[in-house]
Amino acid sequence: MPTPRSDDTMANAPDGRTLETAVTALALRVADAVGPRLRDPVLDRLAGVFVRRHPRAAEAVSSLPQATVLIDAVDLPWGLLLRVGPEGLRLRLCEVATTTADATVRGRFAALLDLAEGRIDGDALFFRRDLTIAGDTALVVALRNALDGEEIDVLAEMDAVAGPLGRLGPMARRHAARVAEALGGLQGALLAPVVGRVGALEKRLARMETRMKAGER
Amino acid sequence: MASFELICPAGTPAALRAAVDAGADSVYCGFRDETNARNFPGLNFSPTEMAEGVAYAHRRGRSLFVAINTYPAASNPAPWHRAVDQAAEFGADAVILADLGLLDYAARRHPRLRLHLSVQASAANADAVALYRDVFGVRRVVLPRVLTVQDIARLTAETGVETEVFVFGGLCPMAEGRCSLSSYATGQSPNRQGVCSPASHVRYEQRGDVMASRLGDFTINLFEEGEPAGYPTLCKGRFVTNDRSSYLFEEPTSLNAVALLPELKAAGVRALKIEGRQRGKAYIAATVAAYRQALDGFDRTGRAEVPMLAGMTEGQRGTTGAYTRTWR
Amino acid sequence: MDTQLTLGPVLFNWTADAWRDFYWRVADEAPVDVVHVGEIVCSKRLPFIAEHLPEALERLTAAGKRVVVSSPILVTTERERQAVRDLLTIGDVTIEANDTGALALLAGRPHAVGPFVNVYNEGTLAWLAGRGAGSVTLPGELPADAIRPLAAAARTLGVAVEVQVFGRLPLAISARCYHARAQGLHKDGCRFVCGEDPDGLSVDTLDGEPFLTVNGTQTLSRRYLSLAGRLDELRTMGVTRFRLSPHSLDMVEVARLFRAVLDGTLAAAEADARLADRIGPAGIADGFFLGKPGAAWVGAAA
Repeated sequence: MPTPRSDDTMANAPDGRTLETAVTALALRVADAVGPRLRDPVLDRLAGVFVRRHPRAAEAVSSLPQATVLIDAVDLPWGLLLRVGPEGLRLRLCEVATTTADATVRGRFAALLDLAEGRIDGDALFFRRDLTIAGDTALVVALRNALDGEEIDVLAEMDAVAGPLGRLGPMARRHAARVAEALGGLQGALLAPVVGRVGALEKRLARMETRMKAGER
Repeated sequence: MASFELICPAGTPAALRAAVDAGADSVYCGFRDETNARNFPGLNFSPTEMAEGVAYAHRRGRSLFVAINTYPAASNPAPWHRAVDQAAEFGADAVILADLGLLDYAARRHPRLRLHLSVQASAANADAVALYRDVFGVRRVVLPRVLTVQDIARLTAETGVETEVFVFGGLCPMAEGRCSLSSYATGQSPNRQGVCSPASHVRYEQRGDVMASRLGDFTINLFEEGEPAGYPTLCKGRFVTNDRSSYLFEEPTSLNAVALLPELKAAGVRALKIEGRQRGKAYIAATVAAYRQALDGFDRTGRAEVPMLAGMTEGQRGTTGAYTRTWR
Repeated sequence: MDTQLTLGPVLFNWTADAWRDFYWRVADEAPVDVVHVGEIVCSKRLPFIAEHLPEALERLTAAGKRVVVSSPILVTTERERQAVRDLLTIGDVTIEANDTGALALLAGRPHAVGPFVNVYNEGTLAWLAGRGAGSVTLPGELPADAIRPLAAAARTLGVAVEVQVFGRLPLAISARCYHARAQGLHKDGCRFVCGEDPDGLSVDTLDGEPFLTVNGTQTLSRRYLSLAGRLDELRTMGVTRFRLSPHSLDMVEVARLFRAVLDGTLAAAEADARLADRIGPAGIADGFFLGKPGAAWVGAAA
């Protein structure tokens, strides 16, 4: 997997959203650690959950011409590649430097997460130069508008992935269940009021990463 | 009675709920096609969503206006006629129209439907407004953003038509509905296709540390690293005249006329409008709440407290635009 | 209906003498049928031409031209509204309405509708015809696909349709003066800097490409529209009037070129070549007609 560039997500999360941002970033780290064989089915489930929960956005996304959008969080070691179009939404983790896409959206992870959840106005981010766009601008605008029309809670979406795991094969299910546990369990952890809990969470996740890597071999 | 009616934009059902919940008196929306002037990819309302939007607003005692403010295409008026018919059918509180032919259609076909004149009609004087009032029964006019407060006061008094003015958001320095700058560069026209500086023709190019924004085949701005940006519209671009580069038409800036509330009230303005159907629901929620607070405060104290909305504005700054004469 | 060449109003702030000389020469030499006069961009310039206006009307009429007085594009102040009312008192000329305010004042009286009133569809055209419009000049951004059905509808309504075929295309109007702004001045203290540029102030992109032209409160294309190669097509559609917009180059020669193409005595490509030569680096464009960016040049062969 790609080499990390920097990992200062925590320091740059906006006030009040530190925990959510950190937890989502950590979930992505777990997803990275388990490797594509286990990760991709879970990401597919996540896309499936999104489509079920947000039919309006899903329809908008599938009405776009087939295209890819690279979400480049400058403070995370990897990017997220979104495929949109008639074949539906697909999510993949990717190495930014070696990925080509029809459009790229670049910014800090916290800002991108806020954008995905409609907590912040994309134009305002752009005016402040906290967001850069390259490639097919219309694609980015269409995607942004589709997402902004929804009430999206990234952690809740991840939590909902746990449900459909039953349809995976037994081996994959065991591994995927661990990823889902990591993803979904985090939602509960958020309820803990103490910001200091993030440190403990991070340790827990680090242990899980090691375990999963071992499991993969 | 409150001094002003607060009119707020919504590009999606989620934004509509955000606007209503944040205290909009009325929300304006468009159908998802070329019949309105914010025909952006992924934006606007299907007929079902429009009907639900009307119901959502009405349940909370608010109004919904449908903007059908582009100019119907030659030999294809059907989408515009259908939009007017559906707005009437769904119980929209008003339609916002610009085209003379479409106003004629709406006035004949739906005599009880309340007609507002869109800013895109650019009715800039009392003679023009009187025509729309007398011929089509237009009840309210959204004034072009080229008038001073003094012009507005005279026009309102002379015509007796309700006037609605923009108070916040994107600022056209040109007379609206009479601008072909975007179509000169892109072939897509605000009047015809309902989109200014269409995203499909916008490209951001990184040139070392400098970001170039391009519209069609033309470079309309270059930004140094970290320099605040604006919309990639031609009129907010930087150009060269007499060997000097400048924001020739308008700086990347947003209108914020909250400081002029006393003057606008004295001018007889009925409704204040926030621009931005293309903006995210976070913008809608923040600006509508700020304006609700400012208007409620103004009604209590007669003073206008300026809300902090710099983060939402183009180029991170505000202007009172043409309302003050020095802008010219 | 006969095909007519019309001359649009002078858009730029020419000196009173230049303005007068221009119309005198048009009266004597230009093969145009209709001549528009009037200051339509900036009311502050009005006094400059006012002294020569009555004489110009007289002289053009005597020379057999049909004279049309054009109303301003943007009317906001009381003084500007009064100026429009003053135009209506001029006898024996057609008034061209360029905003809906003028349209209101002209109700029931035969008049022309100028290119600054938005006429995009048959519904609007029919409504205008019912109010006494004898001719309509279509907005410059309309493509052939829209001109065709409008010209067909106009024929049944008995309205003449006019299309601009030469000159920089008006693209926008504002209350703000960009000519003054480019010099760091306000409109109220503009020192009439627009008078320094008889064809407008050149606006380039930051990449040094020619782009637009500023004429006081008006913004125009940098390129000169030429539809010399489309005259036959326009005529077939039912367009009967072709508008030339005045510039400081030899407009008598321009009118002769277009007249020759209409008469079939000069190939359109040859006319375009000569126009391009006179215009120089600003270049020619015909993109709007083809539904492309207005700045594009395709040419008749395409």
